[in-house]
Amino acid sequence: MRLRPPVTIEQRLRRPRWLTVAVPVGSVIFAFLVAALVLVATGHDPISTYHQLFDAAFVQRGSLDQTLIAATPLAFTGLAAAAAFRMKLYNIGAEGQMYMGAITGAAAGLYLGGRGGPSPFVIAAMVVAGGLGGMAWGLIPGILRAFFRTSEILTSLLLNYVAGLILTYLIFESESYWRQTKGFNATVFPTGKPLPPSAVWPGLSFNLQGGIVLPLGAGLAVLVAVFLWFLYTRTRFGFEAQVLGDSDRAARYAGIRVRRKILAVMALSGAIAGLGGVSQDGDFRHALDGDPNGLQKQGYGYTGIVVAALGRYNPFAVVVIAFLLGGLQNAGAALQGPSFPSGLVGVIQGIILFSALGGELLIRYRVRIRRPARPGGVAPAQVPETAA
Amino acid sequence: MNNSLAVVLIASGIAYGTPLLFASLGELLAERSGVLNLGVEGMMLVGAVTGFWTVQRFHAATAVTLLLALVVAAVAGAAMASILAVLVITLRANQIVTGLALTIFAGAAGLSSYLGNDLNLADQPAHHAFQAFLPNSMQNWPIVGPILFGQNPLVYFSWVCVIVIALYLSRTRPGLNLRSVGESPAAADTMGIDVTRYRYVHTLLGGAFAGLGGATITLAITPQWVDGITGGAGWIAIALVIFAFWRPELCLVGAYFFGALQALAPQLQARNITLGPTVLWTNALPYLMTIFVLVVVSSGTARRRLGAPSALGVPYVREEH
Amino acid sequence: MKRHRLALGVLLLTVLALVFASVGAGAHKASPYKVAWIYVGPHNDGGWSQAHDQGRVYVQKQLGSKVQTTYKENIAVGTQFAQTVASLVAQGYQMIFATSYGYVTPQIAAQYPNVKFEQATGTLVKSNVSEYFGAAEDTVFLSGMAAGAAAKCNTIGYVVAYPIPEVKRHANAFALGAQLTHPGVKVKLVWTNSWFDPSKEKKAAQSLRAAGACVLGQNVDSPATGQYAESIHIPWVGYDSDAAKFAPKSWLTASVYNWGPYYLKRVKAAMAGTWKPGFYYGTINDGFTKLAPYGPGVSLRTKSLIRRYERRIERGSYYEFTGPLYDQKGKLRVKKGVRMQVLKGGTNSLYGMNWLVKGVIGSPSG
Repeated sequence: MRLRPPVTIEQRLRRPRWLTVAVPVGSVIFAFLVAALVLVATGHDPISTYHQLFDAAFVQRGSLDQTLIAATPLAFTGLAAAAAFRMKLYNIGAEGQMYMGAITGAAAGLYLGGRGGPSPFVIAAMVVAGGLGGMAWGLIPGILRAFFRTSEILTSLLLNYVAGLILTYLIFESESYWRQTKGFNATVFPTGKPLPPSAVWPGLSFNLQGGIVLPLGAGLAVLVAVFLWFLYTRTRFGFEAQVLGDSDRAARYAGIRVRRKILAVMALSGAIAGLGGVSQDGDFRHALDGDPNGLQKQGYGYTGIVVAALGRYNPFAVVVIAFLLGGLQNAGAALQGPSFPSGLVGVIQGIILFSALGGELLIRYRVRIRRPARPGGVAPAQVPETAA
Repeated sequence: MNNSLAVVLIASGIAYGTPLLFASLGELLAERSGVLNLGVEGMMLVGAVTGFWTVQRFHAATAVTLLLALVVAAVAGAAMASILAVLVITLRANQIVTGLALTIFAGAAGLSSYLGNDLNLADQPAHHAFQAFLPNSMQNWPIVGPILFGQNPLVYFSWVCVIVIALYLSRTRPGLNLRSVGESPAAADTMGIDVTRYRYVHTLLGGAFAGLGGATITLAITPQWVDGITGGAGWIAIALVIFAFWRPELCLVGAYFFGALQALAPQLQARNITLGPTVLWTNALPYLMTIFVLVVVSSGTARRRLGAPSALGVPYVREEH
Repeated sequence: MKRHRLALGVLLLTVLALVFASVGAGAHKASPYKVAWIYVGPHNDGGWSQAHDQGRVYVQKQLGSKVQTTYKENIAVGTQFAQTVASLVAQGYQMIFATSYGYVTPQIAAQYPNVKFEQATGTLVKSNVSEYFGAAEDTVFLSGMAAGAAAKCNTIGYVVAYPIPEVKRHANAFALGAQLTHPGVKVKLVWTNSWFDPSKEKKAAQSLRAAGACVLGQNVDSPATGQYAESIHIPWVGYDSDAAKFAPKSWLTASVYNWGPYYLKRVKAAMAGTWKPGFYYGTINDGFTKLAPYGPGVSLRTKSLIRRYERRIERGSYYEFTGPLYDQKGKLRVKKGVRMQVLKGGTNSLYGMNWLVKGVIGSPSG
């Protein structure tokens, strides 16, 4: 019989409340410490780097504005990922679903929009169209999973590439409805048709830091977070999804329609990502952005998964973390330069995520160190953890 | 005849499928032990940049340098895999999110980008590269010339790997043990098999092969370094393993099939074969085919005969079983 | 419970933020003039962005301590550009060279009226936005002459990125040059759908070879086509940089951009207060574009022929985009004796050219 190792890991019977707060916070601090080591090893001063980071993300004039702009799509893709991952449906396709939402949402805006100030009707139509576009794209892996038991991880991911090709095609390689064809500039370089004024999304202005604008999408994301929280904690749907996430078999015994749930959750997740896409059109670009050097270079869909994981799939936490990570993205552009290579930003992001993932362990499990057996005596009995 | 579409596609399929083959072989080993490694793309990129760095900095005979570069690339890939291994095997982290985190950490705009830029590896040709070495006369033989004899040494090495792995899995004790580790770790544990050790070893091997796959790109196919040079190959490799029913010889078939698909678009263009929005569907074809193949392979009763390790993706904790 | 966790986390991070914000001195106002460059790719990509960076380094060297330059790389068009500009402006940068189309929008220009924007390859001109690009097609034409002279068969392969006027203009110039030294030669196009993708470019090059090309050229940024050409011993014309080291035997020449002199001129003007927005279109004359050094495969005769045409273009007595020009279907697009202009002429302008000349084989829509 092999000797049992001196350090064992056993599952906790109960999760102390304080731990669920301390661990995420602690892992972020740990991550910053490890990243500081990386910075020192690469010849940078961590203190000044972090200082610059916070400055550029939150403090400098105009930084909050830009952080909100970066955070809005991350909130949507984070919520999309959280909605699905919570049920152990690994929707990696938020990126592609966002593109499709951008396409359908822009179509609605172009078709229904006209002169005048932002119209609630047009904007509502855009929101619905964007959600439907993302939903449809998310249903493809959903259907494949529900009916053919194909892993949604790969199908949703591969569809991201396809969606990117479609998006580029609509603007760069065809004379589609979305493409600007009037005017000389349009022939010089492919661009999307600008949204009519009534389809442009308004923002809420604040007199802070010299004027920041809260994009409509940001507010929409918060609403979605509230809706998601309500759905998952207060409705039967949410309860069933939870059961399904924990145990496929238990769910079936309980009579939960698994297929329907899978479809519903993938549709929901895709729709939220689609909202992120139409927000890009309405809030920021005011046209469909098919430039391969534009929206497709940002990777919002993938970063959203990081956001969801760090927020442990809680919708409110996801929104907060989207804000913080948006700050990091924003600051990353400020930090990088001749002396701070752009690759370091990804490295630091990865370290933060690793720490958070590793920290998970401490919440769910308990590390126990055995005392060595005394010679001639019996090893101290394992005292089971009581509900102390 | 050697310029006909069929011959060119097959020859290209083999050449471009080799990175996919290496990466999928590695992924196969990891998944057989029950670990789903989604960080393949990141590991390939790290292998690509470290292998390239070696040939640029190490001054020795070509063969020695290239061999060393392969070793370095494999070690680098394994090092990345060790991060994943610790997190998902020992710390029980969620395998999917951890794999994605590794791709973000090590991939384009991450560690591999940082290394490549900091070490000034861009904008230079590789000092040594794997090239076709058989005599030109052989390479020009009809059909088999370009397909079999016109390939670089890594292609031939990959064939050896396929054979070795196939034999390992079906005829050696550890290989057979591996199957039970992936199917039912609890049963394997009671038989005295160290589940943790198997998972670690095979996850690291998976990373090593992924590193080799990345190095194939920077040392053989396009002998230069560029950020993100793998362009999504890692994800296709993961799909390949499923497509191949977790069998090495089918990984080879699948890898070459997808390699050929990737070469299809430009070949059709150059021959003026256009069907509708050609640029769109020919570029989308590899991805759509992968999805289609995944669906076919995972639906229905075929699944049970597939060989998907039952415990894939589930952390093994002795006390919980 | 969840609310507590949330509140605690936010509180902690806010405290951290405030601590960091108060610690440390603010950026000291230095006297050098701050200019920034923004690249869409890596600064050392061996192609488009690297050429701009060389221009930046040139300015830094020429002006020394009077100027402080920096660059941001891999910046996506859209909101990321806006973020980058915001942080640069906050750090005191007063002039920004945006090296990709679509970077500078009217909104951004209006948001920072005191910042001078210089946008490459675009058309937007405002009180604080200037445009710049140049006649690379003239040197692409000359490089096409070298390709035509080196072709032992009747097909030249040309690897291209996206079907936009800039690329088609260059493809046309290349074809016209090749047809000059090799009448009747065909230029075959394969679109890669990417500005910089070595793997795709190599596949494109292979497909062109398999379809009969005996010389390869490109309007994309990586030297993968050249490496492939070298491996099968056929000549190669590059683009955007002197990439001879990637294919020492196959290398013929390439059209290269030389951004330095323009950058120096504009930065000096900004510093002296004489900067005015406009539309700059560089030529061979002012050093904006030139041919990279020749490889071993270019004969003396070809070199002197190219030099002759180069001088005639410089003097203005010859222009490659002079009618009669026919499109692929044989329709006359530009009348005899008429010279195409940069901006004027709709689809018969250089910037609006969305058709391909006779002798080019390939779809103009990608």
